[in-house]
Amino acid sequence: MIPQSHFLILGAVLFAMGLYGALTRRTAIGILMSIELILNAANINLITFNKFIGNETLGQVFALFVIAIAAASAVIGLVLVIAVYRNMKTIFTEKMNILKW
Amino acid sequence: MMNGLIRQLSDIVNNYGLPQDLVVQASFYVIAGLACVFAFGVVAMRNIFHCAVSLALCLFCVAGVYLFLDAEFLAIVQVLIYVGAIVTLFIFAIMLTANIEDRSIRQANRQVLVSAAVAAAILSFFIFIIIGAPWKAASADSAPGLEDIGRALMSAYALPFEFISLILLAALVGAIVIGKVKK
Repeated sequence: MIPQSHFLILGAVLFAMGLYGALTRRTAIGILMSIELILNAANINLITFNKFIGNETLGQVFALFVIAIAAASAVIGLVLVIAVYRNMKTIFTEKMNILKW
Repeated sequence: MMNGLIRQLSDIVNNYGLPQDLVVQASFYVIAGLACVFAFGVVAMRNIFHCAVSLALCLFCVAGVYLFLDAEFLAIVQVLIYVGAIVTLFIFAIMLTANIEDRSIRQANRQVLVSAAVAAAILSFFIFIIIGAPWKAASADSAPGLEDIGRALMSAYALPFEFISLILLAALVGAIVIGKVKK
């Protein structure tokens, strides 16, 4: 069968790519997409440990919670992007600087 | 629930006389590789609409990886919620915020090299730890089925389950309040 470490490495690769995207994207939508990648990497790790540690449901249940919270955070993030776009006519994060002086 | 979808598929493959372990492993590595390729597309493509489509494909491949972990229910939930709802929401947001699909607009900021170095350092650190750690071998037939998950949600994790519904309600109301056009 497929060893546990290969699933964990897949999760680490997805996390690293999401981190890179969250650090480099200029648009807020791109950053949100990268955050979804990071949440998926966390889910892969949760389900992997759930399968390989034993007769437990905790990992899958928490993966479900993570999916629900990811949905809520994506909704709020995208609504914020649209509200900022409506007010400032930009979604580039370096232009969103009216809170700093 | 020991006979997951992958095991049934491998039985079918076995009936055709192919080595089933090899087929299962090869399909896992193909799906995992595709997930990585599409994830790279999400962070590296210039057209942000293509990024959203690549994200959908990447999440679909991750749902395929869940099948190899005997988590069929989560694979279905992943396709329904992520691919069906969240990516659709991203595409709507891209369409509502005009002219960011343009190829001429730079999509990455000036920290590309530093960010790539940081991400590569963290990735190599993780892989170093993952390879070095003494993992147990797979405990066979221990993946929980849908029935176990439902029972756990209704008994041991009933309080977090209710909190999730509260969070979703708050997100719903908050999205309407923030997104409303103020007169």
